[in-house]
Amino acid sequence: MGLKIIKKILSGNQAISIGAYKGNARFASGYPGTPSSEILEHFKNYPNVIAQWAPNEKAGLEAALGASIAGVRSFATMKHVGLNVAADPLMTASYTGVNAGFVVVSADDPGMHSSQNEQDNRRYAKFAKVPLIEPSDPYEAMAFMQYAFVVSEKFDTPVILRSTTRISHSLGVVQFDPRTLDNEKELSLAKDFKKYVMIPANAIERHRVVIDRLAKLKEFSNQTPINKLEKGKTDFGIVTSSMAYNYVKELIPDANIFKVGFSYPMPGDKIREFAKDLNRVIVVEELEPFMEEELKIAGIEVEGKKYFPENGEFNLDIVEEGLKKAGVIRERATTVYFDGFELPKRPPALCPGCPHRPIFDILHSRKDVFITGDIGCYTLGCLPPLSAMHTTVCMGASISMGVGASKVQKEDKVVAIIGDSTFFHTGIQPLIDARINGANLTVIILDNRITAMTGGQPDPGSGFTLKGEEVNPIRIYELAKAIGIERVFEIDQYDYKATKELINREIDTDALSVIIPTRPCVLAPKRIKDRPLVVIPDKCVGCKRCLRIACPAIDFKNNKAIIDEFLCTGCEVCKNVCPVEGAIVHKEEK
Amino acid sequence: MNIVSVLFVGVGGDGIITASNIVAQACMLAGYDVKKSEIHGMSQRGGSVSASVRFGDKVYSPTDKLGSVKYMLATEKIEMLRWVRYLNRGSVVVVNDRIVPIIGQTIDEDRIDNMVEQVQTKTLVKRKFLVDSEKLGNPRLSNTIMLGVLSNFLEIDEKYFHDAIDLILPEKLRTINQSAFSYGKNLIYDNTSGE
Repeated sequence: MGLKIIKKILSGNQAISIGAYKGNARFASGYPGTPSSEILEHFKNYPNVIAQWAPNEKAGLEAALGASIAGVRSFATMKHVGLNVAADPLMTASYTGVNAGFVVVSADDPGMHSSQNEQDNRRYAKFAKVPLIEPSDPYEAMAFMQYAFVVSEKFDTPVILRSTTRISHSLGVVQFDPRTLDNEKELSLAKDFKKYVMIPANAIERHRVVIDRLAKLKEFSNQTPINKLEKGKTDFGIVTSSMAYNYVKELIPDANIFKVGFSYPMPGDKIREFAKDLNRVIVVEELEPFMEEELKIAGIEVEGKKYFPENGEFNLDIVEEGLKKAGVIRERATTVYFDGFELPKRPPALCPGCPHRPIFDILHSRKDVFITGDIGCYTLGCLPPLSAMHTTVCMGASISMGVGASKVQKEDKVVAIIGDSTFFHTGIQPLIDARINGANLTVIILDNRITAMTGGQPDPGSGFTLKGEEVNPIRIYELAKAIGIERVFEIDQYDYKATKELINREIDTDALSVIIPTRPCVLAPKRIKDRPLVVIPDKCVGCKRCLRIACPAIDFKNNKAIIDEFLCTGCEVCKNVCPVEGAIVHKEEK
Repeated sequence: MNIVSVLFVGVGGDGIITASNIVAQACMLAGYDVKKSEIHGMSQRGGSVSASVRFGDKVYSPTDKLGSVKYMLATEKIEMLRWVRYLNRGSVVVVNDRIVPIIGQTIDEDRIDNMVEQVQTKTLVKRKFLVDSEKLGNPRLSNTIMLGVLSNFLEIDEKYFHDAIDLILPEKLRTINQSAFSYGKNLIYDNTSGE
């Protein structure tokens, strides 16, 4: 039988999942987060693999570590900020090392396309003293992911594979042999007290192992083929990695390039050798001066961030500008032929029919509340005209910040607003905090029973798993009751009037209360569309009250509201807020 | 050959991702190296979206340089205007003559049309593709019709587009989209506005 080579256009995330499978990974866990979510969604389709969503990244990383110690190659996926949540096990997994190969995939988001910060997670590799591998395109994403398992076992260490939005969500042509690697040796569950039980006596020993391992990894970084010289004709050299490599290659095709694929520890000797015959060496890297600092520490004379920004996502124009500033290209080839126009921005908005909308409309009408928000679609409730959120920091912070804010001042009533998936992620302990420390707080848990923002992944309240298996869901109502909170209410928020009464009553009650609006997401797991509404033009007084709910289906023309019946899902929020009886009605059924 | 870019711009939910996947697939079938970039996440919720397909002998960057985009497919006029800095005098633009309302904004369509007219590229096909789409019996065919129009300018053999449509779209949508593509392909001959 001949060797079958597959040629496909793949996203970086698809490619990572293929690389994992080819690398013989058979267990994966993680928490959805843009731009990492699709990795597990693809991986779950392979035969004989266990793939599951954890309630948060810490649980996901720990589950994968447990699988590794039990003898199965495993990995965990998360977005960059997710690794903050999972940093605790990562730091000590570095000490325990692995049994079967174990990889942590961190998908960073330079430019903050869908994130609250743009931290550079390469720093975590140095912090945890573990190797860091950075692909620059989908082909490398596949190949490097497979390779990461080999490195992990060879050096008995977790490996961080770092992608970015532009790698995870870019597509490229990938050719591959679909066969999987065999494990080098048969592995079984490891019971090794000194290695896996990190009491001080053992951890003191293991820290020495980690330091020795790092020295070996440094050697390896100088040998691995994924750190490579691409000989060019220029008298200067460029050290680059990840997406930045592509911009450099396109802008200066004949440059001397040192392409770094294994970026922690850095291949100091190899780059010193590279720099020897060059006039100067410039480091081109997105976000932090990570490689630049490492090379300077190694005593290699390089330049970098004095020409390139430390914030934002790179692109061809930014890199070209930096190279020009550095004096290695004379002129920018770019010409702008058409000046940009002054245009209205088009921010994202809650979907037509989104069950979060009535909640924010109700909260907007209260001027005496301080609203601590959280991370999810509902963060859009901060934007005008809904404008009903005063803080958003990180997953789960709404309730805990609400605890603090409600304790120190009485003028404003405090409302914490959080989604179901975020609540399961890191909202439960803050709710315990609120209960045990007696916070006077109204907690609204928007229970649409899905992780909506990242594309509709199931959470513990959904009733099904990543693989689509049915499971008995966890009810937030029962959880809140079990914590010992007396005032817990479920409500159908499409009953606008009752919801408004309940929210107002609880805000005005001096006690901890939990309100759980229960309408499901309109997009997932299935699209919901009821009979659309229409505006009766003769009855519309043009007051624009319905525009204040920020529904994409409602427009305003010739002093009248109009509803786009293709977009309208028939949720009736506009009908409920309209001051004129009968101005908004359901379209007659044909 | 130099790298050729096709930039897709529009509003979340417009089908930008699918349209760009079809073009990327057609480029690969035609034997080119191809890279494609798209942004998911927050922008899906009705915000501005874009996707870029770049093909050639060897492509590194998945995104474009200002002034370097040869082909643009815009599903909406405001979004077309948002990306004009990427166009040049030789660009070919196919734009759906429609405006998607923006929450909290009153949009003066005449002003927008006036701006579109200021964009003097080699070819600019502005047309109410929704009308064509409805004529074909389905309001969601505009993008495929526009791809058909665009294919007249791209150096990719027509057969690769048809193959790509079959590969990318689910079975029940294939036949109707194949017809929509052919409809668009033939449409250009009686619409040479801007040339």
